[in-house]
Amino acid sequence: MKSKLKRYIPAVTAFAVLASFGISVTASAAAPSDSYNYDRWGDAIPSQAGYTAERAVTGYDLGIDAFNSPSDIFCSHDRLFYIADTGNNRIVAADESLENAVKIYDSFTMPDGSKTSLNKPSGVFVSPENKNMYIADTENSRVLIADTDGNVLMEITKPDSDIFDSRKTFLPQKVTADKAGNIYIVLGNITTGAAMFSPEGSFIGFYGANRVEPTAKIIRNYFRNLFMSEEKRARRTRSVPTGITNFDIDGDFIFTCTASSSQTTDTVKKLNAAGNNIFANYEVTFGDYTPMYDTSRNKVMAPSIVDIDIAEDGNINCLDRTTGRIFQYDEDCNLLFITGAIAHQTGGFDQAAALESLDEDLYVVDSVKNTVTVFTETDFGKTVHKAAALYNEGRYEEALGPWYEVLKSDGNYHRAHIGIASALLRQGDYKGAMKYAKLADAGKIYNKAFEGRRREFLKANFGYILAGTAAFAVIAAAAARLIRRRKKEKEAES
Amino acid sequence: MMDLTETQWVRYAVTHPVEGFDDMRWKKSGSLKIAFLIVGLLFFGEIADDRLFGAQFFISYERIFNVVPYIVQSIILFAVWVVGNWAVCTLLDGEGTMKNICIYSAYALIPYVAQLYINVILSHVLIRDESVFLDIIRIIGIGWTAVLLFSAIKSVHQYSFLKTAAAVLLTIAAMLIMLFLLVLMLALLQQIWIFISTVVTEIIYRIKV
Repeated sequence: MKSKLKRYIPAVTAFAVLASFGISVTASAAAPSDSYNYDRWGDAIPSQAGYTAERAVTGYDLGIDAFNSPSDIFCSHDRLFYIADTGNNRIVAADESLENAVKIYDSFTMPDGSKTSLNKPSGVFVSPENKNMYIADTENSRVLIADTDGNVLMEITKPDSDIFDSRKTFLPQKVTADKAGNIYIVLGNITTGAAMFSPEGSFIGFYGANRVEPTAKIIRNYFRNLFMSEEKRARRTRSVPTGITNFDIDGDFIFTCTASSSQTTDTVKKLNAAGNNIFANYEVTFGDYTPMYDTSRNKVMAPSIVDIDIAEDGNINCLDRTTGRIFQYDEDCNLLFITGAIAHQTGGFDQAAALESLDEDLYVVDSVKNTVTVFTETDFGKTVHKAAALYNEGRYEEALGPWYEVLKSDGNYHRAHIGIASALLRQGDYKGAMKYAKLADAGKIYNKAFEGRRREFLKANFGYILAGTAAFAVIAAAAARLIRRRKKEKEAES
Repeated sequence: MMDLTETQWVRYAVTHPVEGFDDMRWKKSGSLKIAFLIVGLLFFGEIADDRLFGAQFFISYERIFNVVPYIVQSIILFAVWVVGNWAVCTLLDGEGTMKNICIYSAYALIPYVAQLYINVILSHVLIRDESVFLDIIRIIGIGWTAVLLFSAIKSVHQYSFLKTAAAVLLTIAAMLIMLFLLVLMLALLQQIWIFISTVVTEIIYRIKV
């Protein structure tokens, strides 16, 4: 009994040391939730964090009074942050480190010299081409285009056009402009896409409407409608898609997102100039694959992507309001990281409203906490970004080193297996490529690697195979002859 | 004439789809042991087909292995077919006994079972571009088994062509009914089990407190 106890003592001390170590580690990492990622079967598994919340910036931190339900953030070409401070009816410009407010726009000078103030502005954009500010002045039903000194250059109000239903309200939510100066406005209560205006302010039409999801109900209603009278048809609920919620412009492409808890198609789109969705045939689920069921609120946490942001390196950041999570994808829509949570600590949100990126950092506006949360990349995140960027450029061999490093931190990281398999395949290490392709469930890569391995095997062993086949044929022929002869002998005997 | 051993009869029945089973019946041949062996091979073949396939074609969900679905899709399905066919054809003046139905049906499954194993082996040799060979083998295996199964039912009950077709359709209906009842029974047993376990837990709790 005594010896048994003695044996336990070192084990217990070791456990205590380990446990205290574990506690100290968790205490230093202040993330309000465990980070996770999806494995090759689409199951959520624990993973390393790609981002950590560094700090939450309030209005006081910028040297001004508090924000009041801010709803948009935009980082301009000259590295200034423009925050649409909706409840305070102003636009706040802050420097890139979010230490000081550079300028507060609460009133603008109209071309005729009169002053005008904003009423619940919910979107702001600064064009890198003509350096003008575009403000979605929601409650005033207009979009203001002003220079950075606060002089209004143009005002866009409800268009007088056959295409635009005059009974509908004109409530600009978000605004952006492309290289040519065309202005795109997301309107509340409009489901036919973003309103598009020429640089001169004339209404062109709608751009980038969502498709209707072909559910069984909609197909059934379509056939029922064929047999209905005109009056009955008019009274039925129409199947209209949800209107787009937000967008971001990146070069020639406009990325849109749609916040809807019921819609699952077209929640994130990449539109070219003609309005065609490049992601239409991608088999990607944006947001959580299988939404969590929240027992305390009796609610399925279906993803509702309220903002989208394209980083400098082409990564797509999507902000999910329901779960308070940022889903980061690379340019080919492969999931990289999931960050954030619904929580009270730094790094958690009450109601995430807008998202912006600058260099490696992410900035998230919370319209209930009235803060801007700054996320910085971890070392793991840096390695993954480096590897993914090299991989997407097609430089598989150069990405090999970073991918191995990623696997050291997180042996379950799905993209790393794909990256290594592709690199090994290109290097001609078919056996290794097969191993990693199998781990990644990448059938296509495995197939190519297997083809190479088979070719190698045949080349190396062709002599043996040929000799083996010949020997088998000779033996089989001899055996057949022997059997036939025996049979004949038997028949002759009987 | 036709003095074949049991294993030779298996080969004869499989390679003579039209008259093979008739001859077998005439000679009162067929072994229950071989039939069970075939069904066992079918069971392992289904597992191999799902788990050991070449990774260039498809990678299965390897996190869990549950044997029940494989038992259901091989052994239980076969048993239900045999019982269902026996139940239907006894009413339709069929001459087959349960034993004979079992033997003949199992013999008819041989091409399908062979196809499973051949495809698993070939899937480790072929690449995606050559997957048409797998498809051809699969189609031949299934088609051959369908023809043999029809012929087996026809000769075991001594039916005409049309009557066999009707019997097969009725058998499928009977199978569905039986499976439905099985599921129902399992659900009820589960309910009873939950009830008993709750009562036992409650009693144990009362004794303890």
